[in-house]
Amino acid sequence: MTELNDQALLRYSRHILLPEIDIEGQERLSSARALVVGAGGLGSPVALYLASAGVGTITIADDDVVELTNLQRQIAHDMTSLGVNKAESAAQHMRALNPDITVHPLAARLDAAMLAEQVAAHDVVLDCCDNFATRHAVNAACVAAGVPLVSGAAVRFSGQLAVFDTRDAASPCYHCLFPDEGEASDGPCATFGVLAPLVGVIGSLQAVEAIKLLAGIRPSLGRLTLYEALTGEFRAMKVPRDPACPVCAQRPAG
Amino acid sequence: MPRIVFAPAIQRHVASPAREVAGTSVAAALAAVLAEQPALRGYLLDDQGRLRHHLSVFVDGVAVRDRQWLSDSVRPDSEIYVVQALTGG
Repeated sequence: MTELNDQALLRYSRHILLPEIDIEGQERLSSARALVVGAGGLGSPVALYLASAGVGTITIADDDVVELTNLQRQIAHDMTSLGVNKAESAAQHMRALNPDITVHPLAARLDAAMLAEQVAAHDVVLDCCDNFATRHAVNAACVAAGVPLVSGAAVRFSGQLAVFDTRDAASPCYHCLFPDEGEASDGPCATFGVLAPLVGVIGSLQAVEAIKLLAGIRPSLGRLTLYEALTGEFRAMKVPRDPACPVCAQRPAG
Repeated sequence: MPRIVFAPAIQRHVASPAREVAGTSVAAALAAVLAEQPALRGYLLDDQGRLRHHLSVFVDGVAVRDRQWLSDSVRPDSEIYVVQALTGG
């Protein structure tokens, strides 16, 4: 485990003051590797919080470039990022926030082979993507590699959050909750819009759950959290494992 | 009678306010709603009458076991909540 120097003890002192984290938990974070899929609305707060919290190695993947319409909510980018790849731009801002961590930007859309390789090389995956196909591909790679998945989604005024960790026998996977790619999509933000801080709410919740996982604090599994910004309501739904799930019924031996 | 609520992401297709409906199973409660609002059918069920894959139904905060035919029972004071998967990020 990475030992913290004096500067790091000072930087992370507000974490270390928390008995649930302490020096040991912070050292776990420093040794941890997180994969962030998507550097847009959700990926922005996720990337910045994981970086500021001292997650030692963060890989962030996105094949898109920053446009002016992104800056309404994608806070890992700024005016100097216009036209720059989102993963590269986010990495630049993460390093500026915390030069002690290692950031690997991947300017690519991860195909199945790349996903399998990347997921297996990390301790947690944060799904911050914007489409169903990637969500299912990320889930399948996480189940196959036995790597926990923190899934977030947000559009218009609605957000969803769930943590899946199939190393836990009782945990469902994303496919247990939404069994297939489905026929419909809630559509891109370009069509339906999204309230700027909504992605901050859901992305921050994703960062909370990932940091808990990496620091050794048990996350809440088997739960779908729903947030409606218009009414200000949170709902927590229980999601049991589907014993017939074609993705996770047969799990790799742990 | 059980109360059925559709999440806002579904309501953008067809406005369907929360309401009390007759029925002792999710399928029966849903059938009662669809009898009142046939326009919802295509968003909720496929042509075989099964729940569409990007939806999840919860009874009293717990995901139903029988996703396909929605045979899970509901009590008179149950709340049925229908959610659509969000994909935006």
